Amino acid sequence: MTQIDAAGAVFSALADPTRRTLLQTIAGHPAATATELAATLPITRQAVIKHLAALSDAGLLDREREGREVRYSVTPAPLSDAVSWMAAVGGEWDDRLGALKRQFDEPR
Amino acid sequence: MTDRIERELQLDAPTEAVWEAMLSDGWLADEVRLELHPGGDASFRSADGERHGWIEDVSAPNESSSGRLAFWWAADDEPASRVELTIDAGSDGSTWVRVVETRPLEQLDLIGLPLRGTGGQTSYGPALVAA
Repeated sequence: MTQIDAAGAVFSALADPTRRTLLQTIAGHPAATATELAATLPITRQAVIKHLAALSDAGLLDREREGREVRYSVTPAPLSDAVSWMAAVGGEWDDRLGALKRQFDEPR
Repeated sequence: MTDRIERELQLDAPTEAVWEAMLSDGWLADEVRLELHPGGDASFRSADGERHGWIEDVSAPNESSSGRLAFWWAADDEPASRVELTIDAGSDGSTWVRVVETRPLEQLDLIGLPLRGTGGQTSYGPALVAA
């Protein structure tokens, strides 16, 4: 893909408001599955999978297979400042809350 | 428009213990220095860098009320963001932790200047934050 084609793919993937919402949701919750994402949106899991494919094809999402599910995370490359901020800061809070959980939920 | 992160977590521990852990070194950063009153200085030092900011509002949890800490922080050259930590006692002796970090996209960079906020409240805030 040339650079112009790549940019075009990103723009058309982001032209759809549902896909923008999906991308923002995934940025805030990395490694989300289609099932988890469908629960946050008023559309079916099938429709979510279609949108995820469009976002992946544009290079906006990374796919990682885990058992029967695929986990989606945003790729850092072609993203806007806002989305990368949410991915970075969301990840920091996930780490901090994970540490709190380990500190308090260990068997006493 | 505002960028926003929201997280929630339930812990099997009393609110006071969770509150103490959240303010201790090693949680928000490796080294945390907080002047726990509105307008107080806040500094956060970790291996990957330093952040500075100030306390907007703080109230420790007790038997009858939840705990809350709102502060602003920023690394050098980066726009400041606002963090609000809330902890509530659950009915079963557990504790709910809620985190909201927001980054107003347009604001004057007034980090470190505890100015009275707009909106008629007694809390402090940047004098100008775009809606």
